[in-house]
Amino acid sequence: MASALRSSGFLKKPEKKIKEPKMSRKERKERFQKRLESLTPEEQRYLKRKRVIDAVWPIFRALIVFGLCFIILYPLIFMISCAFRPRAEMNDPTIMWIPKTFTMSNIKDAIRAMDFWNTLGNTLVLNIGCSILQVLTCAITGYGFARFKFKGKSILFFVVIMMILVPSQIILIPQYMFFRYFNPFGIYHAATGNYINLINTAVTMYFPALTANGIRAGLFIFLFRQSFRGLPKELEDAAYLDGCSPLRTFIQVMVPNAGSTFLTVFLLSIVWYWNDYYVSTSFFTDNRTIALMLKNLDANLTRIIFDNGNVQVNVRELIVWMESGCLISILPMLILYICLQKNFTEGIARSGLTGM
Amino acid sequence: MRMSRLSYEKKKGLYGYGFIALWFVGALMFFIIPVCKSFYYSFNNVQPETGYLLKSWAGLANYKRAFMTDPTFRQYLVEALKDMALNLPIIIIFSMFVAIIINQKFRGRTFARAVFFLPVIIATGPVYAIITGNLETNGNNSAEQFSTMFETDMVDQLLEFIGIYGFGTQFTEMLSEITSDILNLVWKCGIQIIIFLSALQGIPTSAKEAAAIEGATSWEFFWKITLPYVSPMILVNIVYTVIDAFTDPTNQVMTRVLEVQSDWQYGYSAAMAWSYFGIILIALGIIFAIMNKLVWYDD
Repeated sequence: MASALRSSGFLKKPEKKIKEPKMSRKERKERFQKRLESLTPEEQRYLKRKRVIDAVWPIFRALIVFGLCFIILYPLIFMISCAFRPRAEMNDPTIMWIPKTFTMSNIKDAIRAMDFWNTLGNTLVLNIGCSILQVLTCAITGYGFARFKFKGKSILFFVVIMMILVPSQIILIPQYMFFRYFNPFGIYHAATGNYINLINTAVTMYFPALTANGIRAGLFIFLFRQSFRGLPKELEDAAYLDGCSPLRTFIQVMVPNAGSTFLTVFLLSIVWYWNDYYVSTSFFTDNRTIALMLKNLDANLTRIIFDNGNVQVNVRELIVWMESGCLISILPMLILYICLQKNFTEGIARSGLTGM
Repeated sequence: MRMSRLSYEKKKGLYGYGFIALWFVGALMFFIIPVCKSFYYSFNNVQPETGYLLKSWAGLANYKRAFMTDPTFRQYLVEALKDMALNLPIIIIFSMFVAIIINQKFRGRTFARAVFFLPVIIATGPVYAIITGNLETNGNNSAEQFSTMFETDMVDQLLEFIGIYGFGTQFTEMLSEITSDILNLVWKCGIQIIIFLSALQGIPTSAKEAAAIEGATSWEFFWKITLPYVSPMILVNIVYTVIDAFTDPTNQVMTRVLEVQSDWQYGYSAAMAWSYFGIILIALGIIFAIMNKLVWYDD
């Protein structure tokens, strides 16, 4: 139908170059009417509807987008609003968003209760260390699954899929026993009569990451496999013809071409290690990570800030400290997100998830 | 010549083992053996002792106990499944809707995308639980504000106005349930939106052009072009949504499992976790079987 429209000159963009004697509004309208009459009723209806939709839809869309953005941002706005208000104003019904006085004392208290700067340093070291290890090992594994044919590959890949599906709660106890009574190569116990207790050491975080079994490793292996499969095979064939070994091919040819996937997976890994409190509460309770400290903020506040017994804090007033704690603990991630927002969103969208 | 080619293929295969060896060792230690052990525990009475777990074969007793005598497990399970059945279509439709919107060109699109993916960054951590808890304590829970419209009889009246009687109450209840949960809903959709968005960007331009030349309306375009191309990702998103709800530590069934676990009843908790997992897998299998016929693959 549109082909007919096009031939009748209707769908063409207005041609600016043609020099015509300037038409008055009336003349133009007449011409338009003439053209409209030359169309079939069906075509006319189509155009009319299209014009209406084109005019209405953007407004409608703007409303929807604005509303949904507001819902998503609502908790964040609430967080910022609470974090800077004095606790007495929590009970003031006249205050909805903007507090009458701004105060930094909640933030300072939260920083003190969470031992924030030490915790931050500790978390960053653990996070970045684990993430780098995890990204490297997952990339190697993903490449193995993407480009090599070997026996049992489909079964092994099924294991990867199961790693995504099986919740960590199911395997918690056996894993705990593994770390608690660590028995290297099965001979350590026989030789010495002892076990090594790895619980509450950083090994419980680094060791799984080193063997591509860290937090959500299954998903990362899957992502890497998809993205390596999407790269043209000719790249490697050229390298092989030149006598390059598979490992060197991987490092020198494939890795540079999968840069965006590496960045995406690294960022996701950082975020998930940052947010994790489940694994760390199970194996590494002494560790002071941001997520763990935030989880215990309630208790720590009582212990450190309100310790003199005279301070009475009710549930509503406690919110200001809790929200301050939340704010400072997601701030690093928020900054990271704002800086690398494009890589987060476009990277995931283009990392080959669709090339199933 | 042929022999050397074969051996080259074989050599490459060996390299393949080399590439996945590290992962395999890890998976054996941290995944395969623990999974098998936990499955084995579920058929045993397990007593923790120093150095090992004392196991005695119990057959299906743990499973029986979970389904027959446990006061809350069955109730939680039914609730969790009902929640999932209600939320799943909403999450899928909603995230597809959002993905289509932010795939269009408009001013402020980058900002909108950034906001819609923000939950991916925050929602997995403890922050989210604290925020929602605080919002409730403070009483100005966004959800309540948004849903007051539905909690009054507005929908009811509207339906009566149209001429439908007696049907309203249940419908209103369902609507108000959905809307009062809208915050949760929106916050759960981050990854799904990303997946749909990537699928939308994968629609070939030739298909779009053909539709435009044929004069397809956007309604037709959605049903005839968008939906078929996106359909494989609907399946992926269903799986993701189900698994996400299932592995969520705040999930009631999982909370119960962990509660029993911290009570040293490892065998019993394993049995509960495995029966839950089994039910989820069966549900996924059914969805897969139905959806697979409807999914259209571009080959």
